[in-house]
Amino acid sequence: MANYGFSSYHPAVNFLFFAAVLLFSMFFLHPVLLGISFFSALAYAVRLNGWRTLRFCLTALLPMAVLVAFLNPAFNHDGVTVLVYVNDNPITLESVCYGLAAAVLFSSVILWFSCYNAVMTSDKFLHLFGRVLPSLSLLFSMCLRFVPRFKGQTKVIAQAQRGIGLDPGEGGPLRRAKKGMHILSILTTWALENAVDTADSMKARGYGLKGRTSFSLYRFGRRDRAALLFLLALVVLVGWGALLGEATLQYFPRLSGKEITGRSLVLYGGYALLCLTPLILDAKEAVAWRRSQWKS
Amino acid sequence: MPQKRRISLRTLLSLFLVLVLIPATILLGVFVLQDRAYYFISLLLIVYTMLPFLLLFEKRKPQARELVVVAVLCAIAVAGRAAFFMIPQVKPVMAVVIITGVALGPQAGFLTGAVSAFVSNFFFGQGPWTPWQMFCFGIAGFLAGLLFRKGRLRAGRVSLSVFGGLATLVIYGGIMNPASLLMGSAKLTWGAVVTSYAAGLPMDLIHAASTVVFLLVLAKPMLEKLTRIQVKYGLLRESS
Amino acid sequence: MAAVTVEKLTFSYPQRETPALRQVSLSVEEGEFLVLCGKSGCGKTTLLRHLKPALTPHGERTGEIALFGRPLSSLSAREQAARIGFVLQNPDNQLVTDKVWHELAFGLESLGMHPDVIRLRVAEMASFFGIGPWFHKNVSDLSGGQKQLLNLASIMAMQPELLLLDEPTSQLDPIAAAEFLQTVRKINRELGVAVLLTEHRLEEAVPMADRVVVMEEGAILVDGPPREAGERLRERGHGLFSSMPAPLQIGAALHAPSPCPLTVREGRRFLSGLFAGRPPEIVQLQEPAAQKKGGKAAVRLKDVWFRYEKNGPDVVKDLSLTVEEGSLFAVMGQNGAGKTTFLTLLTGQNRPVRGKVWVLDQEVGRYKGGALFRRCLAMLPQNPQALFVKKTIREDLMEMLREVPQRQAEERLLQTARLTRIEGLLDVHPYDVSGGEQQRAALAKVLLLEPKVLLLDEPTKGLDNQYKEILGGILKDLCRQGATVLLVSHDIEFCARYADQCALFFDGTIVSRGEPRVFFSGNRFYTTAANRMARHLFRQAVTNEEVIALCRKNGVSPCEPC
Repeated sequence: MANYGFSSYHPAVNFLFFAAVLLFSMFFLHPVLLGISFFSALAYAVRLNGWRTLRFCLTALLPMAVLVAFLNPAFNHDGVTVLVYVNDNPITLESVCYGLAAAVLFSSVILWFSCYNAVMTSDKFLHLFGRVLPSLSLLFSMCLRFVPRFKGQTKVIAQAQRGIGLDPGEGGPLRRAKKGMHILSILTTWALENAVDTADSMKARGYGLKGRTSFSLYRFGRRDRAALLFLLALVVLVGWGALLGEATLQYFPRLSGKEITGRSLVLYGGYALLCLTPLILDAKEAVAWRRSQWKS
Repeated sequence: MPQKRRISLRTLLSLFLVLVLIPATILLGVFVLQDRAYYFISLLLIVYTMLPFLLLFEKRKPQARELVVVAVLCAIAVAGRAAFFMIPQVKPVMAVVIITGVALGPQAGFLTGAVSAFVSNFFFGQGPWTPWQMFCFGIAGFLAGLLFRKGRLRAGRVSLSVFGGLATLVIYGGIMNPASLLMGSAKLTWGAVVTSYAAGLPMDLIHAASTVVFLLVLAKPMLEKLTRIQVKYGLLRESS
Repeated sequence: MAAVTVEKLTFSYPQRETPALRQVSLSVEEGEFLVLCGKSGCGKTTLLRHLKPALTPHGERTGEIALFGRPLSSLSAREQAARIGFVLQNPDNQLVTDKVWHELAFGLESLGMHPDVIRLRVAEMASFFGIGPWFHKNVSDLSGGQKQLLNLASIMAMQPELLLLDEPTSQLDPIAAAEFLQTVRKINRELGVAVLLTEHRLEEAVPMADRVVVMEEGAILVDGPPREAGERLRERGHGLFSSMPAPLQIGAALHAPSPCPLTVREGRRFLSGLFAGRPPEIVQLQEPAAQKKGGKAAVRLKDVWFRYEKNGPDVVKDLSLTVEEGSLFAVMGQNGAGKTTFLTLLTGQNRPVRGKVWVLDQEVGRYKGGALFRRCLAMLPQNPQALFVKKTIREDLMEMLREVPQRQAEERLLQTARLTRIEGLLDVHPYDVSGGEQQRAALAKVLLLEPKVLLLDEPTKGLDNQYKEILGGILKDLCRQGATVLLVSHDIEFCARYADQCALFFDGTIVSRGEPRVFFSGNRFYTTAANRMARHLFRQAVTNEEVIALCRKNGVSPCEPC
């Protein structure tokens, strides 16, 4: 799914979307908005990661969500509608509701992050921050270069140790830990000593000259501008609705929210459109593809 | 005088932080964010603390060798896990970060901690926990460097191990447990905080114990290796 | 106009008495291809680094260096970064970023070029070097050869006028090395960039060169066109002559008329010319000694099959093999043939899916708790750096002797150091010695296990001829002492010279094996240069010496020296 539909848009579009959606999702506790966010996130995660998402939801997410749902009423005794007393502590309806809402909120944030991880690859991230934070971006890129390399070297070292009879997989936990640390020590020497070459290679290619620029393969096209404006408009719309209190549902001391009016419906619609943007753009791409096939 | 400018920049930034940004955030949280106030205020405060460090690094225009050494240490912190493929709960990040702080100074310590956490999450998945982890490891590295510079922390195996164990329990456990609680609840109650610590304690203890063992065994040789590189290649004379 | 001129350059490293460079004068013409050679430590890398100010070592220096007539010191940092390209030895160490395209752009970013200009240059380079298919990959997914090509491309993107390469192929396998050198040649021919290359793979580099410069102890010994340089080396009886291309060596030994043959093609013509009209009477030196039967087996594999995953492809297929005690057995073959996997079957790291593996008298699986590695078997890894952990080589070696009483330990350490010829290096940091010395130190570490069977993975990788000869000598000594040496290698010339038995590993099994002379003369492509030159005349002549000896026996006398 990389580089298809929404993923193929400029990183700025991707990033704006996730920043907005994550921020709103962490903040909105209104049941309608929670529902919109959760189901959009779930749908997009399934689209990106397939059925693995559902397995993840059932095995990892659900238990955590249940925990969150129980945690709130167990420790938060605010609220006026007492359902039952446990050890002299009141369990309130408001707290139970809040717990459920928090569980859904938590789940949607995690799901959005799983989408983020699939879409915002490291080079997209680097492209966005390469201009603003060039040194940190380069540092980050070098780390991404070194980590797989060091993992590979760790294997090489482990194998070399086996070749002289020090199998890191043998022995009790303490012995293994010791051998592991031995490997780490060898790795450190190797990495530091060889890093001098890397620094030389950077200097040989002019690193340190004034006025370093930042290059990337991404180009900001007309399509990206349209998408960006579209997203921005939705963000403003949703933000405006939130400021007017349309997104607020008071949980404590008593469940109370504004009446649902036309304005609320506009907010819900705008939020749904925002959350579904990636799926809409993916669908648009699918349609465009089919059309291009008809012509020929 | 670059030295003078750097200090003034740092002072300006911190003044701005303390006098403007932090109160504004708290006010915003209290009046606008309502139920989610705790979560957002804490998140923003954490981001504010990290910003000056990162911006200072950016401002300093690090040399190639400095950049490479920090990148190597971050990558070791992340990839080091692979050396313990047979004991999966063991993570060397904290130990490496503390050693870096001592060897290369508080700023490099913070940077290595924050970047390691960030990079590590690029491999294991970013989540709402990312900024908190960056902060915890960063601060641990920073403190190690600072205490060492001020003479409060000796570079011996035992003192470093004690510091490492405490840092893991107090800083990492102390922040990460309530932070994860904040994700899913309106406010922090004592009971909930205590429960979160109790629930997190077994993992925190394993984490702390592994950090202690790492530092006991690795602190000395790793520091020697870093010193050798510094001497051999005239690296990283960070002004304290 | 000369691209570079060096005038009487003398240089000493701090706290060293003897200068690393002594009165070096050298010029490289515009568009010239110059190969710089010499033993390890002769100063060629130091010289090369003096031509790139950003990499010049600290120390005391006198003399002048000029780039296109301008003193090097007058060049701005920006100019020297762009106009002088430098490729280092290790392909992996030079890569800075995680993506191929970013690596290509790195230098241009440093120069502060506009992204649109970078886009064009990167596109050009990707096309010129054929990087297109892996343009979007992570650098960690590339092969060694691809990595080094990428390093070259990312430097060429900056459009240098002078390209310096410091042993760029030493870490590559022969096929990748040949491809890399061809690319350098293409750059030189098609773009007119002056090239200064240090190499120990002279067989391939020398025929490409316009000029060969030989250095010794910091001074220039010989400077001239390849054939002339070769002849001059021979006249002096210089050790480095043995690294020259085989045709040149054979030609010079037989006093070929000038110009001496340089390539196999020329060498073949030259030999044919010698025997024009009168085919050689003696075509073989002697019958190869009949196989000694009944020697005890040190390593034995019987019908071994292996694969990594349940439904994966077989990596080792139906392999049966016996290696006799006291022999030096070489397994050759291309990358990915399964040679390294084969070694892991012997160390017990991988168990065969079917079949059995014995080391000495016991099945590998029967050795328990590391018993296999106690005075029995040990392996020297391909990268010796995977073994070093201490501050000095001595401490690193002592690590292997922890269970031995102090005095005895020191004795054994010295004995092993003597065997591996590292006595003088014991108190040095393992990373402060040259690649060849590093490897011998690692070998010493492995030998302290007192193995009866020694496995080596690509032991000649990155070694120059001088180090190969020392290594060959050490391995022969070990065999003489009764140990069995089994090595896996790409290095045809080395195996032909030192092995008792050679085997070709292909597609998971051994397709042919035999005593080197029989083995190589049976191959058409996978054989030594000398054999390729002379195979139409002689049978079973594999090394240079054998070809020369056969020519002499057939009455080719040293006639007019060339």
